[in-house]
Amino acid sequence: MFALQLKRVLLPGFTTVTALLILWFAVTTQGFFTLDNARAILASMVFVGMVSIGMTLIMVSGAFVSMALATTATISAMIFMASLSFGLPVAIALTVLVGALTGALQGVAIGGWNANPIIVTIAAAAVLEGVAVAFSHGATINPTGTSYTVLNAHLFGLPVGLYALAVLALTAESILRFTRLGPMIYLMGDNRAAARAAGLPIGRIGTAVFAIAGATASLAGIFMASFNHSASLLLNRGTLGYDAIAAVLIGGAAIGGGRGSVLNTMIGVAIIAIVSDLVLLRGFTTGEQILLKGLVMVAFAVGVHLRQEQRA
Amino acid sequence: MKPPSPLLSVERVSLSYGRFKAVREASFSLGAGEVLGLCGHNGAGKSSIVRMLSGLLRPDSGQIVLDGAPCAFRSVSDAQRQGVALVDQELSVIPALTVAENLALGEPGLGLRGTLPREEARRRLDAVGLDHLDPSRPLEDLSIGERQLVEIARAIGRDARLFILDEPTATLNTADIEHVFKAVRRIAAAGCGVIYVSHRLDEVLALCQQIVVMRDGAVIAEQRAEDLNAAKLVELMIGHAPKPVTKTARTADDGSRILEVSGLSTEPTVDDFNLAVRPGTVTAIAGQVGSGGSDVLRALAGLAPTAQGDVMVQGRRVPLGAPRRSISAGIGFLSADRKGEGLFLSRSISENLLATRLRALSPHAVLQGSRMRATARKIASRIGIDQNRLGEPVRRLSGGNQQKTFLGRCMERDDISVLMLDEPTRGVDVGGRADIHMLLRELASQGVAVIFASSDLEEVLSLADDVVVMRAGRIVSNVPVAETDNVRLLSDMTHARLSEQVA
Amino acid sequence: MRDFTALTVAGRHRRLRKALPLGILAAIAMLALSLPVWSDVGFSVFSFFNTFQNAATLGLLALAVGLTVMIGEFDLSSIAIFTLGGLLAVKFGEASPMSGIAIAVAAGALLGAVQGGLLVLTGISSVPLTLGGYIVILGLCHIVAGEGILAYGNYDIGIWLDDPVALLFSKRSLLILAVFLLLWLAMRFTRLGSTIRSVGADRRAALASGVSVSRTVAGVFILSGMLCALGGALFSYSASVAKYDLGLDPFIFAVTAVLLGGINVSGGRGNVLGILAGVVAMSLLDTIFIQLAMPTYLIDLARGALLLIVVLIEAPDLARSLTAWKAGRIGAAQAKGRDHSKPLANSGTG
Repeated sequence: MFALQLKRVLLPGFTTVTALLILWFAVTTQGFFTLDNARAILASMVFVGMVSIGMTLIMVSGAFVSMALATTATISAMIFMASLSFGLPVAIALTVLVGALTGALQGVAIGGWNANPIIVTIAAAAVLEGVAVAFSHGATINPTGTSYTVLNAHLFGLPVGLYALAVLALTAESILRFTRLGPMIYLMGDNRAAARAAGLPIGRIGTAVFAIAGATASLAGIFMASFNHSASLLLNRGTLGYDAIAAVLIGGAAIGGGRGSVLNTMIGVAIIAIVSDLVLLRGFTTGEQILLKGLVMVAFAVGVHLRQEQRA
Repeated sequence: MKPPSPLLSVERVSLSYGRFKAVREASFSLGAGEVLGLCGHNGAGKSSIVRMLSGLLRPDSGQIVLDGAPCAFRSVSDAQRQGVALVDQELSVIPALTVAENLALGEPGLGLRGTLPREEARRRLDAVGLDHLDPSRPLEDLSIGERQLVEIARAIGRDARLFILDEPTATLNTADIEHVFKAVRRIAAAGCGVIYVSHRLDEVLALCQQIVVMRDGAVIAEQRAEDLNAAKLVELMIGHAPKPVTKTARTADDGSRILEVSGLSTEPTVDDFNLAVRPGTVTAIAGQVGSGGSDVLRALAGLAPTAQGDVMVQGRRVPLGAPRRSISAGIGFLSADRKGEGLFLSRSISENLLATRLRALSPHAVLQGSRMRATARKIASRIGIDQNRLGEPVRRLSGGNQQKTFLGRCMERDDISVLMLDEPTRGVDVGGRADIHMLLRELASQGVAVIFASSDLEEVLSLADDVVVMRAGRIVSNVPVAETDNVRLLSDMTHARLSEQVA
Repeated sequence: MRDFTALTVAGRHRRLRKALPLGILAAIAMLALSLPVWSDVGFSVFSFFNTFQNAATLGLLALAVGLTVMIGEFDLSSIAIFTLGGLLAVKFGEASPMSGIAIAVAAGALLGAVQGGLLVLTGISSVPLTLGGYIVILGLCHIVAGEGILAYGNYDIGIWLDDPVALLFSKRSLLILAVFLLLWLAMRFTRLGSTIRSVGADRRAALASGVSVSRTVAGVFILSGMLCALGGALFSYSASVAKYDLGLDPFIFAVTAVLLGGINVSGGRGNVLGILAGVVAMSLLDTIFIQLAMPTYLIDLARGALLLIVVLIEAPDLARSLTAWKAGRIGAAQAKGRDHSKPLANSGTG
């Protein structure tokens, strides 16, 4: 009963209030409306954006989130740096392959056997990190040669990574819209039991979704490594994975699965980037930044949930 | 011999759902210590009566008088507080707890400890005939029937005076049914009233003192049980006596079989099911809820992991237990649980229509948009859904259109040779029902073997060529539709075979 | 006949579930005691003392996670509340350790109440909500810690807490054991146990029985928050230091202990002593790893792998997909066999 009233009051104003709030912050923050700052915001979208593409597919498929994508990105960064001696193309291919493979293994358990996605991905992250330490002995991995710097180049004033993100997002959106896999992901996310009864290969769909997510996360790792000119497990200390989840929620994907789009998630990524930029410009401490992002995420999770309840 | 003031009297109660009148001025009464059987076929208004008495719905007019006082239940818990206990098939006891914990669960006034004194638990269990049962036993060790009794015992402890048992025996075996009977007699002897709703007429006749028969929302008869027998009851429920069967020749049987099932069983619902179906025919598996028909279909669709038996489609063996195998063998299945296991409610109509043929529409894994739209439009026009609505989420459609969309999934396909439907028109309005029946006949005329499970006599008789009747997991009869009628069907479904008795 | 088989199946499952935690604990204990046989290290009284110290550190966190899983929810924020509890206790407990603990526990209760309240009011699933809560509380941890590590000057209290009692225990491990026993008694002998289990098993049925489901859910979240904060506070007193981010490793420990302790992921089953057995088993395993001088990353890897195995065994559709896979193999074998007779069999139907 109370929840109903809550919805009536909160929902219509929710988006407007959030937008106004962000706008007000933007206007009152010095140095926000500058070209350099706009560029900085766009550049900061790259890593979170790539991880959130995979995260969107996972949420649409009904598995909610993966807690292993940030770790996958970090480990991919290390593999990329270590394999640069084979040449840039081989290094990229190898890294993405490993990322996709680790994702696919989790996908089999989650998609095919319906194992709890949160626990599986948390455990997978721990295993991946252990393996990474075993190989690197905790050391920072430095690149062979400088072939990777091409990934840091700028084209028309914007970093190459941003173009890569755009291509990746459009590709993922096309997979969702124009290939057989797309509708299957939506259908499985909407109703797993019905998808099974309709004969959809749910094990394979889940595997594909997590494989793609692993691949996009490892691309994020490749750009992270290039940006930092080295890779170590310390890259994992930020809030990459959580930012990606927040971006997907802001993009309006259904928490239970069955609805969402990569392009909407990109709007979420932009909003996260803008908010991060604002709190940085205003001199918020790390703690305050994390707190604020968490609040944004809770607000959007609750908002999206209530809106879906209303529609149903 | 009725007590002066009855425990319950239902006085000229009516209820409508929209324009549909589910109950029309129904009146009956029940004395303390009496068991009243409530009979009637599907849609007669029994469940509406049950819902009003248990507080789920409120009557539009008329009143319910309990213990001499008119009462309006605001909710289920309000009805519970006023002494009405509803026990239906979906039990409200927790298997993971012990019997004693279940008895005490949620009972106010037990203090911090929250347990009943041992003697009290004993007393309540004894009251339903569970005197052998140790209250510290986990509930999951008990049979379904015994769990039901524990729920009844719990209600007794909370001063329930009126018990409504809605199809309590549909999922029980014979021994358990005996337990429930004993318990019902005991609670009646203790001065409570019992309303016993059941499709199983022999049970109603054996257990009840008074029987109320409903048809089309109205109370047709309220008689003492000793004045009735099964044949009379069926006659009252249907509205006329059995007509002599006009035998027509079976359609020429060329011996071809599209589906052959032998020795199919699924623990514990289906036992040794055999069936052979010719192409182009419609076969009904008729039976009451829980009689096993839908379990047969689910097993054939690969949705029952424990199913055993031989299934051949077009002479090829189909392994059971994998939905994809069944589909690729040419078996299409539409579940009765349309929302849980059928439709993708928040996705669009066209996506729902195309869900099972994505492979065909995407050579090289790329969807062919124009072909998809064309196919969706073609199916939509065949099933009679507005083509402008194809992008709308299925959630917004009426029950009838939802079912048509569900059916559309298996139409316009060459690879489906056997189409199975579980309760094809449940929750569907009259118009939609006729449309769906026509579509199914049309499919049959194209050579598809249609099999449906239903508890709806009219549907079975008007749609099927052959009728298989099941009761308690076994086949009771298997005849062409011309050799049976609604009275014989209902007899087969509810008690002994009428045809045998007649013969 | 049918009833008899149903009875034994349910009974067998229950017995297995009950025996599993103790069985695993016994197996790991055997492994520990047999260390000298197959390696050059042994197990001393001190190793057991260490095991219980380790169990004391993460025991309450596991207990909190276990309780939320028992009501069919999943609280990701528990590890953050554990961290925050430690920080608050250190920050405000310099002069009086008790008031530090009180502040930490009060904060835990408040955070639990907010999350539990939102959960009940909006009906949202607990995973996204508590994931957001985890991040918010992580931010709070950073703010309380002031971007660094808080040192606790009152060493005496840590020494007092960890002073061995009866060779094997310390006041800290006994205290946490007492909390476990208290909660076990409460769940065994008051309505708390049946209420929690009924809410976890079947909310509709619990509601129909008269259980106030929302109050139970909110209450368990508050209790869980308090337990996490208490555990964190005691841990930071013992270590004389509090960090602002412990990572997810303690959470992995807790979830594995809970699953090993016989708690069902889908809720409604398990008991507090099972969790205790799971916690001690996991700690014993850690002690073995340390005795073998295994590097930290290998320990983390082993824990992650163990959690993966346990959660896969619990996966609902594992058996079903095995059935489907078998059916698929039969189908494939027949398709192969059919190829030989294809010209005759298929000429009519194709």
